[in-house]
Amino acid sequence: MIQQLEAILEEAKAKIRQASDLNELGDLKALYLGKKSAFSAAMQDMRMMSESERPLFGQRINAIKAELSTLLEQAKTQIEKAVIEQKLQSEAVDITLPGKPIRLGATHLVTQIIEEIENLFVGMGYTIEEGPEVELDKYNFEMLNLPKDHPARDMQDSFYITEETLLRTHTSPVQVRAMLANHNQRPFKIICPGKVYRNDDEDKTHSHQFSQIEALVVDENTSLSDLKGTLLLLARTLFGEERQIRMRPSFFPFTEPSVEVDISCHRCNGAGCSLCKGTGWIEILGAGMVNNAVLSMAGYDPEKYQGFAFGVGVERVAILRHAVDDIRQFFVNDMRFNRQFR
Amino acid sequence: MIVTLNWLKEFIDISIDYPVLAEKFNLMSAEVSRLEHFVNAHGLVIGEVKTCEKHPDAAKLHLCQVDVGDKTLQIICGAPNVMSQQKVIVALEGAELPNGFTIKATKIRGVFSYGMICSLDELGIDHKYHQEDGIHVLSSEAPVGEDPLKYLALDDVIMELDLTPNRADLMSHLGVAFDLHALAGGEMHLPDIQVSEISEKNPINVFTETNGCPSYYARVVKNVSVRESPQWIKSRLIACGIRPINNVVDISNYVMLELGQPLHLFDYEKIDSKQIVVRQAKKGEKLVTLDQKERKLIEEDLVITNGKRAIALAGVMGGKDTEVSLNTTMVLIESATFDPIRIRKTSKRLDLRSESSIRFERGLDPNRTKMAIDRAAMMLESICGGETLKGVNFFDTHLLKDREVFLSLDKLSHMTGRHYLAEEVNMVFEKLNFKFNESDGIYRVHVPSRRPDIRTDQDLVEEIVRIHGYRNIPTTFPKTMTVGKLSQSQIQKRALKEILLSQGLDETITYSLVSENDATLFDFDSKPIIKVLNPLTEDRMVLRHSLLPSLIRVLSYNLARKCDDIRIFEMGSGYFTDGEKPLLAALVSATNSSSHWQHPSEKVNFFTLKGLVEAVLAQLAISHVRFERLETTKALFHPGISAAIIVEEKRIGYVGRLHPELEHSHSLNETYVFELDLSQILDRNIPKKTMALISKYPAISRDLALLVDQKHSAQSLIEAIREKASPNLREVKVFDVYTDDKLGQEKKSIAFNLVFQNEAKTLETEEVDKEIDQILDHLSESVQASIRKV
Repeated sequence: MIQQLEAILEEAKAKIRQASDLNELGDLKALYLGKKSAFSAAMQDMRMMSESERPLFGQRINAIKAELSTLLEQAKTQIEKAVIEQKLQSEAVDITLPGKPIRLGATHLVTQIIEEIENLFVGMGYTIEEGPEVELDKYNFEMLNLPKDHPARDMQDSFYITEETLLRTHTSPVQVRAMLANHNQRPFKIICPGKVYRNDDEDKTHSHQFSQIEALVVDENTSLSDLKGTLLLLARTLFGEERQIRMRPSFFPFTEPSVEVDISCHRCNGAGCSLCKGTGWIEILGAGMVNNAVLSMAGYDPEKYQGFAFGVGVERVAILRHAVDDIRQFFVNDMRFNRQFR
Repeated sequence: MIVTLNWLKEFIDISIDYPVLAEKFNLMSAEVSRLEHFVNAHGLVIGEVKTCEKHPDAAKLHLCQVDVGDKTLQIICGAPNVMSQQKVIVALEGAELPNGFTIKATKIRGVFSYGMICSLDELGIDHKYHQEDGIHVLSSEAPVGEDPLKYLALDDVIMELDLTPNRADLMSHLGVAFDLHALAGGEMHLPDIQVSEISEKNPINVFTETNGCPSYYARVVKNVSVRESPQWIKSRLIACGIRPINNVVDISNYVMLELGQPLHLFDYEKIDSKQIVVRQAKKGEKLVTLDQKERKLIEEDLVITNGKRAIALAGVMGGKDTEVSLNTTMVLIESATFDPIRIRKTSKRLDLRSESSIRFERGLDPNRTKMAIDRAAMMLESICGGETLKGVNFFDTHLLKDREVFLSLDKLSHMTGRHYLAEEVNMVFEKLNFKFNESDGIYRVHVPSRRPDIRTDQDLVEEIVRIHGYRNIPTTFPKTMTVGKLSQSQIQKRALKEILLSQGLDETITYSLVSENDATLFDFDSKPIIKVLNPLTEDRMVLRHSLLPSLIRVLSYNLARKCDDIRIFEMGSGYFTDGEKPLLAALVSATNSSSHWQHPSEKVNFFTLKGLVEAVLAQLAISHVRFERLETTKALFHPGISAAIIVEEKRIGYVGRLHPELEHSHSLNETYVFELDLSQILDRNIPKKTMALISKYPAISRDLALLVDQKHSAQSLIEAIREKASPNLREVKVFDVYTDDKLGQEKKSIAFNLVFQNEAKTLETEEVDKEIDQILDHLSESVQASIRKV
């Protein structure tokens, strides 16, 4: 009897090992551990056995049932694992296929640079002032120490609307307006970004419309060295930490002294290349100490206050930093261009 | 302004290399935009053509034997004017010419040529300066074997200066020499001017009838013979960009370049009077100028007259009938100063800006007027064989004294942020040849008349800083603490851009100046335009009222380049006679060819753009927006797919599909746009939000599919639902719109999702059912809605 059962056990073990799905395993469970299994029948038969045989027989059957039960459990876990494994495998994707495109718009390069400069100066305590683009001659020129028929007016050819109004040629009139509005003469620091217009023939480096950012600081002790430090920081922020600057004498009627500011060439690091025409330096902006005449006209006592100002052409910065070949690119809005700077 | 090194050397000893000198000038005086050899050639020699025969195998070529001093070379020359016995410029084998050409021995039609006989063009001298065809023939005295550049005074270095209008003093070689002295040292030699007057008296009297001529000097020189100038004068004029004419005219230009004072030379005998009267022109007065053009004058113009009629346009151009000609023997030299503003106006009006007028405009050294007239007389004597009549007749109202300007050391340090020592300041003034005295840190500086630009202590600060060196200025930052921040409207403008960028729209910047048509195309109110008086082109003549025409052009441009996935926006001004308005416009092209393997590109329609508008207005905390059908006669928008955007009973913009006709005429696909006038809504105060309690009790959601007439808008149905609802109704959303013939003509099905919730209790199903019934009753009454059976 026991040998018979041992044989069935071996047979059951083999079948469990071979079972490939959960249904089959269920059938096996019913077959070997169910009420009609050989082992259940054997338990019934046990009653016929002698007292001495019975415990041993019973122990053995229980052990066999426990073993089968464990085996079935293990087989079930294994099959389940295999099923999951298979499912996972079948779900695999070609991970090299492109992801769902998230379309983000591109900020215009000129706006990017304006915001970059704005952020730098706001961080240093400047506010951003804006003003009209159709401007009075008075604010665009006269109150900047450029009376009518001053030869320096040749430096900025203008689009006139009437004899007294024009499209602003720089954002300096915003400075004048800010100073006039600042009646109580409190020291202030502003930057003025915006569109400006020059009646120049257009070419790769000239556009009748472009953007400028000017800065103005008026205080009791604002000095040329403050201007130099500020410009060095600006140059390094825009063109890299290694930049140096140098100042050269220049002339703007609204500042005295007036300077042109060069940065050490960011392409060759000052060694001389085609970008800097072999000089190692690139002209980047104009600056100076606010002319006393301008302070007086705006209601500031030049004996008490002094200021510095500078103006930078945004497109010029973009052209130099991003190797843009033609200023007109900024206004064409060929999306193959605009999107490069996303 | 171009200066030559050899010319400068007449006034100052230069001991440093010229590139170093130019760099110093660049950093301390003015921008040097060009520095180069006047003629950049090597390997040239003076030769003598010994024999000149026809090339055996080429009719137009000459076979020359040329003595170049140490040998005789066989040279083939194609110039028709080559002849034996000529002294010529020979480029030897290995010579380099300015055009980058290197001379090699070559075989031309079977005969060897060992060099080249040069024309002036081949030396890089522009044809307009010499107008010579063929090779340049030197004078018979030219020394064979020597350097022809030295012989022709072409062995010079030129420095082109990019001058700012304030530095009028640098518009002369003498002026540049003064500045070079200040920055590089070197002894100066002021010009030694001696006039040998004869006993015959200068017969001309000079008068003025205008305040536009502070000084006028006149001299008369007789017995001049007008001919070509000597080579050294011609070479220097050419180097400075001025075409030589004849010795008399050249002398006036030469003196101007040397001393900065423009001169005018009249043919004395044609003046026909013994007096010169300077006055304002009379209305309608006419003058034929040197360029043979008849000029109509206005009263603002200054003229030189002979007492009866105008003979020159003061400071701008001489008159034709008193021009120096080859027959002239007696000249009147004019050296004067004129009102810069009037010279500027006249020269601008007549488009006659010249080297002279620019100098008058920028201001002259009144102490050079007399110096220049004497210098010119001296040169007319030595070069034209002239004899100067006794006396300079003149009037001069200039105060010929140095200006005094005061500067304190404290102010200097305060303004520059650098503490300057008295010795450093003294040194700068000494270098500049400014006399000064100092006591208690206050400098009294005598600014010479050659520097009219220096009037204030700030001007002196600039002189000290530039000569001492800008590199010595330290770097510091402003010390006063200030608060830096963006204004409310600046914050909002950035936020609006971020919204559109996040939705995949690219930012554009287009021109504010457009054509008249584009300016007002999308202005439904046809407000008056602002026009530029002096436009570059008709396409850039008027300031725009709307950004949309520019965006449409950007779309066309990109479509033409096979780039059809266009979604763009711009933030910029609209320009009106009552001011500028901040506008925000967007354009989205509905069809595009971009494709993804899994996600088809989202279909764009009216509601895409409306969604953008709603997001933008939500950012600006505007909750009450109405979209109304656009009433317009302009065929710009699709009449059925467009809306006016109304906020607080004001129309602030439009959204919609472009009119198919407009799309067609611009070759566009289906295109949607919006434009908003942000002027009233950008800087409104947005109250800080306080938390609203989130109800602890569950919400109940119900869907209603209504069958209604087409004419009822979603908006009106929502309003009808809300009309009879309790405060428990929290949300009404449209989730489906459906039309089908089966529904009946003019009918549509529209489905709403209603959410009910109460703060204080759990709503009972029966309660909500009752409310739904009430709503339905009201709907069937007010809009004849019925529940659609699905």
